[in-house]
Amino acid sequence: MVTAELLTELKAVLPEVKITTEENQVTLFPHTEEQIAEIVKYCQEQKKTICIIGGGTKSKVGTSNERVDINLSLSEYTGIVEHTVGDMTVTVKAGTRYEELQEYLAQHKQKVALDPSWPRDATIGGVIAANDSGPKRLGYGTARDSVIGLRTVYPNGKVIRSGGRVVKNVAGYDMNKLFIGSMGTLGVLSEITLKLRPLQKCESLILLSFSNGNLDEVRRFAVELLDSMMEPVALELLNPAMAEKLVEQNAYTLAISLEDVETSVTYQEEFIQKLRPKNAELTILRKDQAASFWQRLYTAAPSGCDPDTSNENNAGTVALMKIGVVNLSVLEIARECQLLSDQYSVKAEAHGGLGTGICQVILHGASEDVAQSISRLRVFAAELGGYGIVQYLPESLNGKVDVWGERPSYFRLLEGIKAKMDPSRIMNPKRFIGGI
Amino acid sequence: MAAVKAIKSKDKHIQQLAAIVGGGRSILYQKEDLLAYDCDGFTIHKHLPKAVVFPKDTQEVAALVKYCHEHDLPFLARGAGTGLSGGAIPLNEEVIISMVRMKRLLSVDMENRRAVVEPGFVNLKLTNSISDKGYYYAPDPSSQYCCTIGGNVAENAGGAHCLKYGVTTNHILGLEVVMPNGDIIEIGKDGVADEPGYDLLGLITGSEGTLGIVTKIVVRILKNPEAKQTVLAYFDKVSDGSQAVSDIISSGIVPAALEMMDKTAIEGVEAAAFPVGHPKDIDAVLLIEVDGISAGIDEQIDEILKVCRNRNVREVKVAQDEAERGRWWANRKTGFGAMGAISPDYLVQDGVIPRSKLPVVLDRINQISNESGLRIANIFHAGDGNLHPLVLFDARVPGEIEKALEAGSACLKVCADVGGTITGEHGVGIEKREEMRFVFTEEEIAAQTDVREVFNPKNLLNAGKLFPSPGRCVEVKKEMKASVTS
Ligand SMILES: Cc1cc2nc3c(=O)[nH]c(=O)nc-3n(C[C@H](O)[C@H](O)[C@H](O)COP(=O)(O)OP(=O)(O)OC[C@H]3O[C@@H](n4cnc5c(N)ncnc54)[C@H](O)[C@@H]3O)c2cc1C
Repeated sequence: MVTAELLTELKAVLPEVKITTEENQVTLFPHTEEQIAEIVKYCQEQKKTICIIGGGTKSKVGTSNERVDINLSLSEYTGIVEHTVGDMTVTVKAGTRYEELQEYLAQHKQKVALDPSWPRDATIGGVIAANDSGPKRLGYGTARDSVIGLRTVYPNGKVIRSGGRVVKNVAGYDMNKLFIGSMGTLGVLSEITLKLRPLQKCESLILLSFSNGNLDEVRRFAVELLDSMMEPVALELLNPAMAEKLVEQNAYTLAISLEDVETSVTYQEEFIQKLRPKNAELTILRKDQAASFWQRLYTAAPSGCDPDTSNENNAGTVALMKIGVVNLSVLEIARECQLLSDQYSVKAEAHGGLGTGICQVILHGASEDVAQSISRLRVFAAELGGYGIVQYLPESLNGKVDVWGERPSYFRLLEGIKAKMDPSRIMNPKRFIGGI
Repeated sequence: MAAVKAIKSKDKHIQQLAAIVGGGRSILYQKEDLLAYDCDGFTIHKHLPKAVVFPKDTQEVAALVKYCHEHDLPFLARGAGTGLSGGAIPLNEEVIISMVRMKRLLSVDMENRRAVVEPGFVNLKLTNSISDKGYYYAPDPSSQYCCTIGGNVAENAGGAHCLKYGVTTNHILGLEVVMPNGDIIEIGKDGVADEPGYDLLGLITGSEGTLGIVTKIVVRILKNPEAKQTVLAYFDKVSDGSQAVSDIISSGIVPAALEMMDKTAIEGVEAAAFPVGHPKDIDAVLLIEVDGISAGIDEQIDEILKVCRNRNVREVKVAQDEAERGRWWANRKTGFGAMGAISPDYLVQDGVIPRSKLPVVLDRINQISNESGLRIANIFHAGDGNLHPLVLFDARVPGEIEKALEAGSACLKVCADVGGTITGEHGVGIEKREEMRFVFTEEEIAAQTDVREVFNPKNLLNAGKLFPSPGRCVEVKKEMKASVTS
């Protein structure tokens, strides 16, 4: 159907819903869950495919060349549904911007304990659907540890609840887990209930740079810190290129985050100072300085809605990978990223958690070189028992690079779940692993 | 090597199953041997299995499952059999695949904070095996001295310290699973996080043994906290105790544990094996633990003491040493069994409520107790709102079992009505199938059975658990009653 016809029909069927068209693409902006459900129901009946959009920061995550019929934007479906301060739980509409949610909760000295990329632009729905996380997952876990309940508009237009509003719940299958990280391929998350944590009373960031480039020394220090009784909430290794970008220090650097009551933070700072290897340089940042470091880190990666990164230019192209390995193998990934620049003349800015095994690698270079680096890193991660997926791919490589990598041996089950829940495959088609 | 023990059964299936596990020593099939397997920790409901087999490794489990799958024999896995909702009860004359021989600790990797265990490995043994290096495994169900980690995964078990550290699902990094058709799959291999694809790890954990049989588990291990402090606080009024719980949580402290017992529960634990001298005339005791960096602990303890005093605490004390702390915990952790000292039988319930609803809900439970004429003790994880009403009854008195079941169900209804749920850690099993309707619509239940169909299409694995049978509500209730009284 041509856009004009579709538009006329949509206006007739969904008179209350705001609709825009741009470059031949129809976008709907529902304000209520009922409207979301009506849209999905319509699409199901008419076999129209839907692309769900939150803040658009991840619009380049897992994209395919598939053209969808309808964009479903949740950007106007926002707000807190319920915040029970004493229970430390919040229910929020999926389109709410992550930072707005945190600012609201901060007034009550509470927070969602996640630190995703692009917090200003990202929506809570997008963060959960993409299972985005940051370095502080070492201390606080990830979306699967924070989400306690969901309302999901299923591909048939019905609203299905999973979990609930209590922090402990084993009634039936833990269906929340299916939707977290599902990239919107199973339904539209409409309301999300999260458990909260108290806002830390004091926060400190220790930067430890190893200018001699000796990763063995980094390893020794990290192992000793992890084996101590200190409780860093992040222990993130930045490779020299990433450290250059964030703190203008071209050296392997550890970013250690401490969050607790002040006496405890000070005590841990002192402990780490004593543990510091002789040739490592140590800086302590607090408050605004610490916050500004994290802000730079969270916005270091290319974002789908940032015009600066989405335009390819003479300087070449940029891609983003997420790599998962066994915790300390992050050191190997960091080393490999340095080697890449020699072999493929790409710049690889990488950071990864030595207590979590999750790395983010930003690759800059000519598109051929970037493509080669992606496959090289993926093979390398697999040899270490891990995986690598592409989270941002430039237009020039679209369709030329496998975004998700190999299917797991149990792919039949993933495919089975998709087929059961979205048999007509209208939800974010081909956006997920193995073309799901 | 011992000679292969002969099989005295003519049943072809028994002979074949025995052959898979290497002969008669690894299978039980005679009635007198099967009696011990007719129920688990939920003893109200009893059924005999067809046989019990004891595989020694994943390959044998897979072969057993494949055989059952091909011959349409119902089957289920069993760990230590401590489950409290009837998950391991062979409702359909299942072949029970017991995991108790698969009980090795396969590897420990302190640097990467993970350990690999077989499913029959007992929970507490893991902590005991790594404590000399200062590490531990966090989920600590009260049954941890005997329950298996495989059973913990199936039930997504919790425990007293889950308030700060999370339940089983938050500590599982990888699983090897034998699927209901006998295929072996590995998820989260080596414990690498966020494997691309839907989170099957999270889905299988807590699926009560209905999606597959877990044969290997990669768990996260944690470093011991530098310091711990434990507080006991006695309250003359339950409402003051519950208010103190809310105040502690909203003061910004995340206690490691925050437990509560009411008057009837105190009577039980003081009459049982580990009394600690709680005053008999108080209405509520709180057991509060904080842990973390030593330098920050005193501040938190001061805050907690202040909160308790503001809520009219009668007496509050801090454990003076590890021995005293140990006594307090033994008293609490043996709380369920302690009810045996004051009642011939008891039924454990497991509702969860938003913490702020504690005072109202405890009142309602009290009412239910008065109406049913049965005493109800409350021992619970107050910090996360996970209640354990213990309905005390005497099975010898005709009609009391039914009354106890009804009172238990009524307690769950109260929890559901205030926005809570029907189970926080013990699972639905057989016991709470019908109560699933208190919290989910037919469509929401169908959404879950749809998922089961993907994994377990023949529904031979642990059938009849977790979900109410559609439209058969009345019949099932009758069936429950019939098997109760038989
Ligand atoms: C005194 C007492 C105190 C308790 N306290 C707590 C508590 O504090 N917190 C808590 O959460 N629970 C508690 N429980 C309940 C029980 O101990 C837990 O549910 C425990 O996880 C069950 O483990 P198990 O090895 O006994 O499993 P079982 O009872 O043998 O089995 C439980 C379920 O798991 C399935 N299963 C077992 N092994 C596997 C496997 N390898 N693969 C797939 N499925 C499997 C079975 O089919 C069954 O459905 C308590 C029980 C008792 C008796």
